[in-house]
Amino acid sequence: MIRCKPLLGTYVEISAEIGSINMTSFELDEVINKSFSAIKLVQDLMGFHHPDSELSKINILAHTKVLEIHPWTFEVLRIAKEIHKASSGIFDCGVGSRLVEAGLLPNHQIASTQAWGGLADLILEKPNLMSSMRPIQIDLGGIAKGFAVDKAVEILKSATIESGLVNAGGDMRVFGAQSQELLIRSPANPKELLSIGSLKDGAVASTSLYYSDAANSQSRSPIVNPMTMEQIEFTDSYSVIAPRCIYADALTKILAITKNSTHPCFAEFSAHAIRI
Amino acid sequence: MAGIAIASAPLYAHAKIYISVDQAQKLIFPNKQFTKYPVVLTEDIQDKMQSASSVSHPFKGDRTWKASDGSWFIIDEVVGKHEMITYAVGISSNGTVQSIEIMEYVESYGYEVAEEGWRKQFIGKGADDAIKLKKDIQNISGATLSCKHLTDGIKRIMVMYDLALKPKAK
Repeated sequence: MIRCKPLLGTYVEISAEIGSINMTSFELDEVINKSFSAIKLVQDLMGFHHPDSELSKINILAHTKVLEIHPWTFEVLRIAKEIHKASSGIFDCGVGSRLVEAGLLPNHQIASTQAWGGLADLILEKPNLMSSMRPIQIDLGGIAKGFAVDKAVEILKSATIESGLVNAGGDMRVFGAQSQELLIRSPANPKELLSIGSLKDGAVASTSLYYSDAANSQSRSPIVNPMTMEQIEFTDSYSVIAPRCIYADALTKILAITKNSTHPCFAEFSAHAIRI
Repeated sequence: MAGIAIASAPLYAHAKIYISVDQAQKLIFPNKQFTKYPVVLTEDIQDKMQSASSVSHPFKGDRTWKASDGSWFIIDEVVGKHEMITYAVGISSNGTVQSIEIMEYVESYGYEVAEEGWRKQFIGKGADDAIKLKKDIQNISGATLSCKHLTDGIKRIMVMYDLALKPKAK
């Protein structure tokens, strides 16, 4: 069974094979519904676009007081900080203000010239408490999609689905005995797909600017180098394979910014970088 | 650890079929009976739908179903520059979107023809054609396709609901 719904600003596919387990088609529908609901919850909690999301609340209030947040948001922020630290700041979700300026994200706040903080300013205290030392404009666009994929996979696995796949617009994870052929869109010719092999029990995420509008003078690149706060332009396609999709998703930003497929971060998180 | 073997052979992006009309109806409204209820729209309503949604291809009113409680099940397409997506939307009896399911996804690049001509290539394509293509196309990474066109399509359907399908206020 394979289904697809519009979520996270893209098309999300969930595929589940029940194999030899005893499950009716109605029960399978319910499992897949639950898996889609997990993705919807990540969207509702962590969407920068929604003024009522928990992330929007964090961006408005975290520098003024300690907030109690959803365990999933806490988990994403914890891993974001972990990758921020491991990459010496090359990965930083504190780039939302630049993306708002570029018109790629909506502006929910009164314009401000203050110096924005980043992941280094976030203080996370278990259980699920957080605050920020400086005002922040956190955008989880570079990591939450991967997390959503992992959550959807967890639900399928806990329902004893034998094998399956969750693909959120190119950020995907597969599980089960069967390996899945993996295709990457060619950066030189987007109608061409390159087979890069097969993937078993793992995740892949890719980033590229296929759909950016070259005629537009303003950059449409969604990737900002946090060191310079400049959007970066590139023509290659960057993919990262990792055991979990949250890491694959986040680490593509390190690859796109550094263009270094042997950056020590990849080995630290058991990941491989692929540049095409 | 996740392992990967590198190989390279060019393939081309094509099509995927997810679910049928019947499956979509059962997924969105598991326990409801629907009857086909074709919708004929006045030019005025069609103009309003277009200006509210910026979707310009005509709405086909022969793929609409109604349940006795006033729920609707509607099939429509998104026709983008690179993709054609057939989807089902359920509108519950209180007039809100119940759920959306993508039924079919066809992707095409580089066709230097007018939009209507581009669409015609799909007319008469049966399930067999698409299933044959599906074998080639499974898991594409690096293809974050925005669902903005779909959002516009849903907006158009909800405008139609308000203007033509919703029970009139007493």
